[in-house]
Amino acid sequence: MLTIYKLALALMVGLALIYAFQSYYPEFMSLFSNAFPPLIAGAAVIVSGISLQKYWRKHEERFSIIWLLFTVGLFFWFVGESVWMGYTLIWNVEVPYPSVADDFWIAGYIPFFFALYFYVRIFGSALSKKMLAIAMGVAIILALATSFMLINPVIGSEEDMLTLAVDFAYPLLDVALLSISFLGLLIFMNGKLGKSWLLINLGILSNVCGDILFSYTTLQETYYNGHLLELFYHFSYIFFLLASYIHTKEL
Amino acid sequence: MSKKETFKRVLLEAVDEGLLTLGESGREAVYFHLQNLYGVKKDEVPDKIEEFADGLRKIFGLGATVIEKAIIKSLYAKIGMKHEEKKGYSFLAYVKDAENVIQS
Repeated sequence: MLTIYKLALALMVGLALIYAFQSYYPEFMSLFSNAFPPLIAGAAVIVSGISLQKYWRKHEERFSIIWLLFTVGLFFWFVGESVWMGYTLIWNVEVPYPSVADDFWIAGYIPFFFALYFYVRIFGSALSKKMLAIAMGVAIILALATSFMLINPVIGSEEDMLTLAVDFAYPLLDVALLSISFLGLLIFMNGKLGKSWLLINLGILSNVCGDILFSYTTLQETYYNGHLLELFYHFSYIFFLLASYIHTKEL
Repeated sequence: MSKKETFKRVLLEAVDEGLLTLGESGREAVYFHLQNLYGVKKDEVPDKIEEFADGLRKIFGLGATVIEKAIIKSLYAKIGMKHEEKKGYSFLAYVKDAENVIQS
């Protein structure tokens, strides 16, 4: 196994252990839960930036645009994480949701989506109608499942409309990303680039799980800093970081 | 220049143009990996076209067909052949057809 995979696995196990035993160090956990996301998101931006440097030639070049968009998307998410950290650790807002951080997170989906879309579009003609139907089916099932899981807590919630809209927005934006990235996985899965696309899919899937659980727990008012669901977000950045790294190794 | 040499030159140009589907950086990356992983240097592609096709498949999986099609389109345009898709025809079969036309 490549050293980078071993490191990523060790980091994920370490994170899981830190979260599992958090009752022994609640103060540290409060700090860690808010300070770690900008670090791991920043690391993902740096690795993606290195890929951008490798593939950058001219601004009108496809790979240049794709990696620029991918890096910008991750950068927005990094800013979102940093703003959240600012709210919680500097201004002592317990759960700043929704807040300016959400503006950056939601904005990040746009370049991220187009990065995936432009990449898949180059190879789109390799997809058969059957593959397209499978991908569409997966996206529809996920969107329905997401809506189904959130509809009950939303009905019983006393949150304002903006919060409810944001609660729905994240999981549905994740499904939009996943529907494109799944096509990429179908195209490349038998090639070396398939590893990178599998990691992108895992990253987005982690976000899907994290966002559904976050929306659910905030609606139920059971979310707290250091909640186990945060692991999905951390894992997601690790997967994106790995995906960028592996892509530059394989192509 | 012999017909065989002419075909090799034209095929190399077509490969170069076909790989531009990925942009310059993508093309450079493909050549780099083909040389490092499969021992196929850019200039050797026409002589090692099977290894080249195999390398593309190993990197891009199903996506290789898109690059192959771009190469074939470019190749056929260069030699004035009309490109028609034939069911069950592989990349190598299209290349062989083009070679036969030039040799004849």
